[in-house]
Amino acid sequence: MGSIDRMAPTRFRASFAEPGLLLEAVKRLKADGYHVIDTYTPFPVHGMDEAMGLKPSRLPRACLAFGLLGLAIALGVQIWTSAYDYPLIVGGKPLVALPAFVPVSFELTVLMAGLGVVATLFVVSGMRPKFKVPDLHPGVNDDRFVVAAEIRAGASYAELQAMLAGLGALDTELLTVDRLEKDSSLLDREATPLAFILSFIPAVLVLMALPLLNRDYLQRNITWDGGMMVPVAYQSFDPHPSLPGGQVLQTPPKGTVPRNGLVPLPYGPGQAEAERAGRELKNPLLPTQDHFSRGKLVYERSCAACHGKDGDNNSSVIVAKGLLAPAVLVAPVVKNMPDGRIFHVATFGGPQKMKGLGDLISREDRWKVVLYIRELQKAAAPKPLPASAPAPGPGVQP
Amino acid sequence: MAPDDHTSALSGAGLIEDQQDRGYGHVLPLIEGDKSYSQVTEEVFSTTERMPPLKWWLALSVSLSLLLLGVWAITQTVTRGIGTWGLNRTVGWAFDITNFVFWVGIGHAGTLISAILFLFRQRWRTSINRAAEAMTIFAVMCAGMFPIIHMGRPWLAFWATPYPNTRGPLWVNFKSPLLWDVFAISTYFIISLTFWYLGMVPDLATMRDRARSKLRKAVFSVFSLGWNGSNRTWSRYETVYMLLAGLSTPLVISVHTIVSMDFATSVIPGWHATIFPPYFVAGAVFSGFAMVLTLMIIARKVMDLEEYITLRHLEAMTKVIIATGMIVGMAYGTEFFMAWYSGNSFERYVFINRALGPFKWAYWSMVSCNVIIPQLFWIRRVRTTPWMIFILSIFVNIGMWFERFVIIVTSLHRDYLPSSWAMYSPTFIEVAIFLGSFGLFFTCFLIFTRLLPVIAASEVKGVLKHGEH
Repeated sequence: MGSIDRMAPTRFRASFAEPGLLLEAVKRLKADGYHVIDTYTPFPVHGMDEAMGLKPSRLPRACLAFGLLGLAIALGVQIWTSAYDYPLIVGGKPLVALPAFVPVSFELTVLMAGLGVVATLFVVSGMRPKFKVPDLHPGVNDDRFVVAAEIRAGASYAELQAMLAGLGALDTELLTVDRLEKDSSLLDREATPLAFILSFIPAVLVLMALPLLNRDYLQRNITWDGGMMVPVAYQSFDPHPSLPGGQVLQTPPKGTVPRNGLVPLPYGPGQAEAERAGRELKNPLLPTQDHFSRGKLVYERSCAACHGKDGDNNSSVIVAKGLLAPAVLVAPVVKNMPDGRIFHVATFGGPQKMKGLGDLISREDRWKVVLYIRELQKAAAPKPLPASAPAPGPGVQP
Repeated sequence: MAPDDHTSALSGAGLIEDQQDRGYGHVLPLIEGDKSYSQVTEEVFSTTERMPPLKWWLALSVSLSLLLLGVWAITQTVTRGIGTWGLNRTVGWAFDITNFVFWVGIGHAGTLISAILFLFRQRWRTSINRAAEAMTIFAVMCAGMFPIIHMGRPWLAFWATPYPNTRGPLWVNFKSPLLWDVFAISTYFIISLTFWYLGMVPDLATMRDRARSKLRKAVFSVFSLGWNGSNRTWSRYETVYMLLAGLSTPLVISVHTIVSMDFATSVIPGWHATIFPPYFVAGAVFSGFAMVLTLMIIARKVMDLEEYITLRHLEAMTKVIIATGMIVGMAYGTEFFMAWYSGNSFERYVFINRALGPFKWAYWSMVSCNVIIPQLFWIRRVRTTPWMIFILSIFVNIGMWFERFVIIVTSLHRDYLPSSWAMYSPTFIEVAIFLGSFGLFFTCFLIFTRLLPVIAASEVKGVLKHGEH
């Protein structure tokens, strides 16, 4: 715009009452060789762009670019999350189900195109919060139509005034430079703080993205609200402030039936109960090969350590250590016991040190063990008792 | 902003307006009272600068009471759980989703007026678009509330957004219509807000220029973005406004299409229908225009805006109501035809049950309010008498609420197995939340009418002298 002498203003403005008059004045000024800086109106005056010689805005290209960016982000995020980072087949659709991705892609395209073009408008037009707007004419946003132009070199201001008055100008005034806003540019002084803040955005975005690239799923995450991961109710093994025993888990009430299909066993521990079981219970299983081999397996896992592999205490660990010897299963005392009695001992334990194994070995498996013990007894029948084995005392149960 | 005729991209658009002007030989003026530019400025902006009248305070106290009732009911819902609602098996969606679709639909008229009518160069939109866009934003706020409280744990609503979370590589399901909804509604809200704000910037500059107190000047200086009426800025601004209108038009159609897909992509008889997207969009425009009419007829009376929101505006909107109402009526018929033609006994049963079952009162309220009563708008005297329009618009609002209720509840309350059949009735809490959403809507709207210019003054000035050439 050339050098500007503050003492001798080279710019002026004229105001009109109607848009049509302003349009004619602009055309006339242009024809006379004046440089029209801008016009200021309460609403857009049509034909003014042509009169001022403005080219059509290139903002639609920005809109397209932002829209395509939104589309790319939407498709990228959907394909990456659905097919690569978290591949999960939903509703029998392929992992990359493009038709299902259309709605979100469309929405993000529109969102980015709209917000992007508005942001671009704000940047290119220098639209941002401003506390000092040059008061070119108080009626610009009300009812006045104002033109600002430079005085042509060598022209007389008085003649210009007369010419504009002839075109319907209500008033004409010389302008100092600061009355007229400078051509908007991205980084003028007023925008510096804003630009400074905005310049941090890329760095912040990169920092936010970094943890995404190198995540350690073995690491326990930090959550500000566990939500559904933390149940509201007491956990089974938690302490409890007021329940008996100070814990949540309680002994089920008498007569409680487990839900996993078991029927209650109507016997308790003790000698009398053992004899009753011997009288009443019969082995419900037939001595088939399957039951026999299962019984062997369970016997060798759970019983052989104390009673010996063959039920004769020969390979008993506790006998070898010199501890209390268990009952010899192949001895006639045991041989003469009814099945129900052996079953009762396996379930509730013996009169000496043996603990009941009823809660470790299933009922069916205990009956199979009984079958297997009978087989051991048959196999051991011809052998004499080992001399080292203590004879079971009278009434002593295995 | 005045759309310019010479760059008309749609050559037929001018024709529509001409027919409207000349068709019946009774051209009603756009703006009455032969106003000057400064008169428009004074009349539009002075309402924001003086103390609101008593009737405004009365209206505010009523709507605040409703809002408070809603806040109480939502507190009950959040603290005690959605067991406080009347939902059951199989009616898992009822009042909440009905209200959600109802409010989203209402929002659509605002976008239609601001964007689609702008593209069609319907100049009559200028004096109602600001208020209609505000209505859109507040209606979408009301709508968004319902799915969020329906989640049961609304503080976890952000789980619906795809963000790198602390639960391993766990992402939202992009193939679900419910997630599409999240994107559609939030995009719609953001773009509507942007469009509304951008259209208001020139008027905010006027408010800044008129401001007397320092605080008011500072606030409007921030929001008017240094607007000085420069033609270079106007030129770019108009380009962007046009682009936003062009973007909003498919957006508004996509939003209700996606809302309808929440239903249409399921396999529930009564929901599983390809007619849903166009049917819902037409219904949304129908209900939205009814709500615009309801609001505008009150606003023009209460705020003395009869010269800005003229009979011509009201009449044009009633015509949109007839057109969309008949589309909706045809959709009701088509649904029945398709149910019969499908040969699917469940589908047939659902529709017979709708018309003759336990919710027949809701169905026939819907048909009479949406299809039969709006036919009165064929009579010109009805179209140009504000109180009659007002009553009819209330009927349409009720009818369209029932439409959503009928679609949702009658389809759900009869499952495939008769042993799973259920009935639904709302609890007091649900009704209170619904009333509360009206409280929220009217509170926001009332505050808006006194805080910001209800009429887009810069656009109205552009069409003031329209009749002269």
